[in-house]
Amino acid sequence: MNHDDVTRLLDAYLDGELDLNTCVEVEEHVAGCESCQQKMTERQELIEVIRSETPRFEASPFLKTRIRAALREASAPAAAPFWKSIAARWIYGGVAVAVAVILAFTISGPGRIPEVVQEAVANHVRALQVNHLMDVASTDQHTVKPWFAGKLDYSPQVVDLAPSGYPLIGGRLDVLDNRNVAALIYQRRKHYINLFIWPSDGKTLPRLLFVENGYHVLGWTDGGMNYMAVSELGEKEFRDFVQMIQQQTAPTPP
Amino acid sequence: MKSGIHYGTTSRWEGNLSQPEFEQVFLPHLDAAYNLARWLLRNDQDAEDAVQEAYLRAYKAFSRFRGGDGKAWFMTILRNVCYTTLKKSRSHETPEPFDEEIHQAAGQSDVREAFRQKANAESLHQALEKLPDEFREIIVLHDLEGLAYKEVAAVLGIPIGTVMSRLARARGRLRAEIVATNVRPSSP
Repeated sequence: MNHDDVTRLLDAYLDGELDLNTCVEVEEHVAGCESCQQKMTERQELIEVIRSETPRFEASPFLKTRIRAALREASAPAAAPFWKSIAARWIYGGVAVAVAVILAFTISGPGRIPEVVQEAVANHVRALQVNHLMDVASTDQHTVKPWFAGKLDYSPQVVDLAPSGYPLIGGRLDVLDNRNVAALIYQRRKHYINLFIWPSDGKTLPRLLFVENGYHVLGWTDGGMNYMAVSELGEKEFRDFVQMIQQQTAPTPP
Repeated sequence: MKSGIHYGTTSRWEGNLSQPEFEQVFLPHLDAAYNLARWLLRNDQDAEDAVQEAYLRAYKAFSRFRGGDGKAWFMTILRNVCYTTLKKSRSHETPEPFDEEIHQAAGQSDVREAFRQKANAESLHQALEKLPDEFREIIVLHDLEGLAYKEVAAVLGIPIGTVMSRLARARGRLRAEIVATNVRPSSP
């Protein structure tokens, strides 16, 4: 084995990837070649530094939850009625228990998820699953808002966040908290956000962030209206979205 | 290539997996997958999206998977997802040219000294970020994630001999970048 061959094999030798015969040949040459000895030392040093010093990025704990939820959704039999698969998911996935209350004022009973949060997530999942995201598909708030007239006994504020990267893509009539509610759909890359809006009628929502089975849910009450946003979007972007909605829907003082 | 690289054994399983079994087999690769995606895509959100997409694809494609190295199989899918994302976002970006003069200016013992002084987590990070994708990914797969040459070959779809030569070149280039780091005033 000549010098060039050995030079070529040094990395594989140090990585323990050579078979025994080749190892012996490399070692025989290196023993008598000062240049190769030096290269070997340098390379050894380099490999050790790479392995010990290079930062390794760690996945956020949310990612695993998100992936499991996505897998569970993908494995739900498409033929089953949606409410059955959702009911099965509640039980099987332990959705009702897997809760993290991150931003907390307090709610009555530690770890209890208001039913409306579960309903909102179920609505979001169902809308994506049965491919019925929108009744009215439009990126124009002046088309979406009038569409609700006559279907609801109130008029939801419809804002478009397209300039901020969260375009409005449509609206849908949905049922939440035992009543018809407006659902606005926003998009962020491949992800969708459902924003439910309905009159609070004295039942205000605590301002809480729930992490439900990989979905983020945030509810709040403002100007006599309840708002609840649901998405599988990452927490940071989800909070940004909610903040922008809150700013733009804030009631103007009388 | 005729010189012998030995072929190690890898874990195998057979048959179909249920969803919980799939999770049990593949979720342990989550950290490795995220690390590769993050190094290739350079931001958290894209890396998370790519990893999730890879899991969904793997899950759907699993019935077509017939045993073999599960980690390599999964990392192959992930890498494809990452490159699809890169293609979409990168048409306007040109890689920084490699400055041969700077990188070869100093004599050998100077270089060795400079390397020893400069090799730390920060310079490693900077240097690795500067490498072309094909060099960066091979270092991440082998040196950071510990994939054997044979597994790396499977993920990248190249012969083992090419893994050996490309890894050697990638490390050489990384070393040169470390030596060149901070030679110029530190970049913002």
